[in-house]
Amino acid sequence: MEINVEREEGTMIAVVKGRVDSANAREFEQVLTEAIGDDHNVVIDFAGLAYISSSGLRVLLMVAKSLRQRSAHLALCSLSTAIREVFEISGFDKIIPIHDTRAEAVAALG
Amino acid sequence: MNMNRLLRIATDLGELKRIHALVEEVGKEASWSPSFIYKVNLVLEELAVNVINYGHGGDPNHEIEIGLDWDGDQLTIEMVDDAPAFDPLEDAPDPDLTSALEDRPIGGLGVYLVHKFMDDLSYRHEQGRNHLTLVKRRKG
Repeated sequence: MEINVEREEGTMIAVVKGRVDSANAREFEQVLTEAIGDDHNVVIDFAGLAYISSSGLRVLLMVAKSLRQRSAHLALCSLSTAIREVFEISGFDKIIPIHDTRAEAVAALG
Repeated sequence: MNMNRLLRIATDLGELKRIHALVEEVGKEASWSPSFIYKVNLVLEELAVNVINYGHGGDPNHEIEIGLDWDGDQLTIEMVDDAPAFDPLEDAPDPDLTSALEDRPIGGLGVYLVHKFMDDLSYRHEQGRNHLTLVKRRKG
């Protein structure tokens, strides 16, 4: 698992690559939280995410909650079909906006 | 093509990669779709993690036995562990899937995803061990 930070039009993009499972979920939480810092417009780009289990969803929920508490905005983009299905079944698509592309996510936050 | 595999892992999160490696290997040989491989991986991880974290409270000195049986059309998974009796089909509470972000509880999704991704599930407790049998059929 690897997270790289990019910026587009004032929006912070966290690009996640690899696998997020129960063995590295804690690391995912730490690295993601550090990467986000105190940014107010955050997109998490999952184009390079091969796998995520419920432990990764748990981290995303915690991050989404803490961003909401400080009135920051979060969107996800570029989920594979299978990962998107997991988000939908878990009801996460109702609480975190999911976009097909990074451009759409950035536009929605801007 | 029939395939039969048996994997024994220690009750340690570091062992998850062995599950994933086995599923990738069997999936490749059996020509499973990426989505099928993903779901089998996820189901095995969620169940194994339940046994590791809750069944044994993080004690790595136990074992989980995972059998995979692919008959060309359906996958039968057998999981056996010696944690206290736990029937994930009955004993796991339903997750909250509808509350607003602020009120959404953290956790409880693992077993729910297992139900969603498998076609048949059955549980029995026998000679002090939990036995879970799961079936997933290839569709389309």
